[in-house]
Amino acid sequence: MSFLGSLRQKATFIDKIAESFLPSLTRDEKFKLEYRLPDEELIVDDINADLSFVGAHSKLREIQNHRTKEQNVGAYVFSGRLYLTKHFLVFRDAFDKKSCVLLLNLSTIKRVERTPSEANNFSLTLTLYTGSEVLIQLMGLKYKSEQFSAQLKLHLKENIENARKLPQFLNTCYSEFILNKNIMHKTDLIPPKSGLGQQFKYPGNPSMEKEKLKLRLWFDYFKENGENMGIVKNHIFHKLVRVGLPNRIRGEIWELCSGAMYLRYANAGEYQQILEENQGKTSQATDEIEKDLKRSLPEYKAYQTSEGLNRLRNVLTVYSWKNPDVGYCQAMNIVVAGLLIYMTEEQAFWCLYNLCDVYVPGYYSKTMYGTLLDQKVFEYFVEDKIPVLWEHIQKQDIQLSIVSLPWFLSLFFTSMPLEFSFRIMDIFFLNGSRTLFQVSLAILKVNGDALLASEEDGTFIAVLKNYFQTLGDSAYPDSDDPKLRSITKFQQLLVTAFKEFNVITSQIISQQRHKFEKEITLNIETFVKKTQIRQMPKTFYLHSTDLSNIYDIYYQSIETYNISLGKGSSSMNYDVFVQFLGKFCDWCKPCEADNDSRFVEQKNEFLKKLFNYWDTNDSGELTLNNVVAGLDKLKTDDLLIMINNFFNLYDKDGDGELHREEVLALSEGLLFLTEPWRSGRYVDVLTKTAIENEIADRIVEQKAQEEDGDDTIELPNDVEVNEEKYKNEQSERYLKAASNFLQRSIEYARSVDLPSDFNLIELSDDETGGSSESTDAIKKKNLNTLKANAALDPTHPKRLDMATFRMIILADETYELFFSETWRCSTHVNKLIDTDNTRGKALRGMFDGFMADGRKVAKQVRIRVDSVATTRSRGDSILSTDTNATSNTPMAKSLSSSTKEDKFEDIDDFTSEQQEERDDLLGNSWVEMDIDDTMIEPERKQVLSRPPMSNSISKDLIEFEA
Amino acid sequence: MNSNVASVKLVLLGEAAVGKSSIVVRFVSNDFSENKEPTIGAAFLTQRVNIDDHTIKFEIWDTAGQERFASLAPMYYRNAQAALIVYDVTKPQSFIKARHWVKELHEQASGDIVIALAGNKVDLIEENGENERKVATEEGQKLADEENLLFFETSAKTGYNVNEIFLAVGDKIPLKRPNDNANENGSGNNQNSSRVQLTDANANAANAGNCSC
Repeated sequence: MSFLGSLRQKATFIDKIAESFLPSLTRDEKFKLEYRLPDEELIVDDINADLSFVGAHSKLREIQNHRTKEQNVGAYVFSGRLYLTKHFLVFRDAFDKKSCVLLLNLSTIKRVERTPSEANNFSLTLTLYTGSEVLIQLMGLKYKSEQFSAQLKLHLKENIENARKLPQFLNTCYSEFILNKNIMHKTDLIPPKSGLGQQFKYPGNPSMEKEKLKLRLWFDYFKENGENMGIVKNHIFHKLVRVGLPNRIRGEIWELCSGAMYLRYANAGEYQQILEENQGKTSQATDEIEKDLKRSLPEYKAYQTSEGLNRLRNVLTVYSWKNPDVGYCQAMNIVVAGLLIYMTEEQAFWCLYNLCDVYVPGYYSKTMYGTLLDQKVFEYFVEDKIPVLWEHIQKQDIQLSIVSLPWFLSLFFTSMPLEFSFRIMDIFFLNGSRTLFQVSLAILKVNGDALLASEEDGTFIAVLKNYFQTLGDSAYPDSDDPKLRSITKFQQLLVTAFKEFNVITSQIISQQRHKFEKEITLNIETFVKKTQIRQMPKTFYLHSTDLSNIYDIYYQSIETYNISLGKGSSSMNYDVFVQFLGKFCDWCKPCEADNDSRFVEQKNEFLKKLFNYWDTNDSGELTLNNVVAGLDKLKTDDLLIMINNFFNLYDKDGDGELHREEVLALSEGLLFLTEPWRSGRYVDVLTKTAIENEIADRIVEQKAQEEDGDDTIELPNDVEVNEEKYKNEQSERYLKAASNFLQRSIEYARSVDLPSDFNLIELSDDETGGSSESTDAIKKKNLNTLKANAALDPTHPKRLDMATFRMIILADETYELFFSETWRCSTHVNKLIDTDNTRGKALRGMFDGFMADGRKVAKQVRIRVDSVATTRSRGDSILSTDTNATSNTPMAKSLSSSTKEDKFEDIDDFTSEQQEERDDLLGNSWVEMDIDDTMIEPERKQVLSRPPMSNSISKDLIEFEA
Repeated sequence: MNSNVASVKLVLLGEAAVGKSSIVVRFVSNDFSENKEPTIGAAFLTQRVNIDDHTIKFEIWDTAGQERFASLAPMYYRNAQAALIVYDVTKPQSFIKARHWVKELHEQASGDIVIALAGNKVDLIEENGENERKVATEEGQKLADEENLLFFETSAKTGYNVNEIFLAVGDKIPLKRPNDNANENGSGNNQNSSRVQLTDANANAANAGNCSC
């Protein structure tokens, strides 16, 4: 059986449409899309109506003119629905769309009369500027008709200003030109400005006779059915487009079919304005455009001249300014070069605008998602409609997109001789993107036999290349029938495309697009993420999972940015920055103190400094790379670097010294940063150790009271820890650190006026020295309060250098710990954001994020037991159990619900109740929070990652994001 | 099928307008044209060369250079045995892009891929003097040494080093026995036969895991 035969057999089954639901468009959206109307054209009112169009110079009118005043003689009457929008009156035949679609811009209406007629009829006669008449009989209830005509009246009134633009606009329409020239017999008319073809000839070698004949047919059509802004499109219109547009009028019909004409009318002057406003400005897009100007249809003569290149540059750059989300994509240069052969710059611009927006949405976007999506949809159609070929393609591992992608992206301009691609464009502008699918499928189908014989990409491509070069040849060179012999391959292609693949409707395409949308979006997001992570600056402390998390949190914060569509700005301003940090930094989380104006001031002061410090290119916005580089610095485990970085935040002039005001600002910054610990929302290592020690003490105590024969050590299940006490202790510690800091920094600051007032050389040299030494020294100095008070006096300016600052920090255990650990560990870059963690929060105790380490407690117990020197001590039993997670449970419980009584249980007892508790614990989002904590030893991490609950989910996420 | 012919799939990568297509055209048809239309998506060409006693058939996948086309690149470099990364010696940005490509290939492409780095358009320097040069030969060489790449400065316009770079790639490709070769062209090979979409690249990334730092 021949290839085509087998195809026919397989291709005839009916589409299974029902399974996928359509993306929902509103009635207005559908309406605008159908008639290619601008965005603002919402339906104001609609009504059933009968309608006739009588062209001013139509044959019918001629007959009428020879008769008496009797109207309606012999005019076709169409029954359908009439719609009114802001600027348009649209009518469509109810039975056959192709038999009559009237698109009337309100500006073309000169006069509306209510025609006297029989009692129940409501008739209107619209007279257009051309003298053509539209006779409308509104059908329906009287009040509906009244309402409709009232609305029409209102909108006509509002449109008066707009209508003034019409005469000037008509001067740019070729249709007006040929009507005027041939009806008024004006010989001195100059044709309106058009595309480059006017000057540089049109591609291919169109015969003059054929062109003239085609133009004549359009002339006749315009006479009968109106033109440009007020036209009836019927089946003849479609036919005239299908046979190929005459070159001179091609631009206008493209403009008309695509709706670009309406945009040009509505936005008169905008093109010129954008062009002038951006004269001389450059951008990445303009750079890229410049590179490609000479690479756009370079064989066409006009593009070897500055005239042609200028027009191309203008249209492309204006579009890139108009729509910066798209900017410029290679292939647009070729498409626009094609348009400009038939259109003026302004026409081509609006045509491109509608092309990108409606015809090939997303094709040229920054991620090219539309292109990828339609390739996927195309592959599906090939599989569905030409399964034999699809099987072959799969089997030979041929990359179909290498041939098909350029067809879609450059609308066949680079694939086939221009004269043929323009013919396809004619139909494309009329019927929309389904044309691309239909023609592409037909190309594969027509070449089916040859393609099935090719076993690799190379021959596959060669077959098609050869085919395109011979499109003008006979499709049946060996036929005896001269008529058949005269059919070209191109004609055969069109027939196959629009007859056989007529089943590819816009609706089916949207269904398929909808079906693959998610997959494509996900692929792009993954790809973009991988690429961006790869191109991040080198980091020393952030690892790949951290980077992946930062990426996610970053883009979650920038809500206006759409990764897969490549739309919007991908940078972060200050407000977003604050929210961003708040998502994973304990020290920046929204809290009660946010209601305190002084705190808010401290917060903004510090965060603005940090923001500017990270904004290395002073752009006022942070990029992902800025943020990564900044966070990497925050995660350094080198205490001194951490202190230095903090110091540098405040050292504006970079001279290594802080002035008095800067010192004050710095101490305010420290107050802000340490607030979560000062308020007791989080615990630091010192407090934690203290709690663990207390628990250990109690165990030892408990043990001492037990019988001598017992040789196991039990961890308490529920220990009542005096939360309030620890919270207060910690608060006090932080307050003290803050006040000490301020006092010391003023005390030890170098006095500018009195350089050798007292000896601090030995201290500043002792940067890394033991803290005990310096604290001793400090104590000594503390006595000298009089001097410190003197330092507060603004008349004695003082400066704090980095070495002194470091010394002061290192002198305080709490602050030293803050810079070495507390701050770093409270920046949870490795935490996946759980968007739904509000419930978990409510369950948390006051010591948020605290988890006693069972191992540590056990160790403490061991030390104590050993030191008591009880020979029977067999503490090993605790250490050998692998139940750290279980032993955590009671601790955690005790902290989150301090009301429970003390109760001791055997840790080896894995009762179901405990299991539940454990799951409860691990399912709780606060477990995730602490995975990062360096205080937790690796073994614990293992245990935590084993249970299935929340961890399995986060693992999946990691894979998906890697 | 000629048993002495080994097919080598080679992919060209690099920023827009650095001369990728021109290098291929010079290599395949010893031709050059100043204003070539940009490659849309990708182009495919083949060329045979004789090295010692055997013939290598280069199957060349020439890709679009503009940044936004990068998401299509994985479709083309999948299963590639060789890659030619091109930059323009007069455009420093194109060298940065070349670095990104090297990184991407090391992460995503098959492990034994042979990569060559071409600093193209040296004719511009000969024409307009050293001032025109924005990427030093040493810089290119350094990247090549670090990443284990072949390195040539080339000119598609004059043909300088164009054949040489392809021959060097051919030399470095581990040759397959004719049997393997047949297998490659057929569909028997499980690993290669699945069509790699972007999704498959994900799977690779998951395996790659921690190595991006």
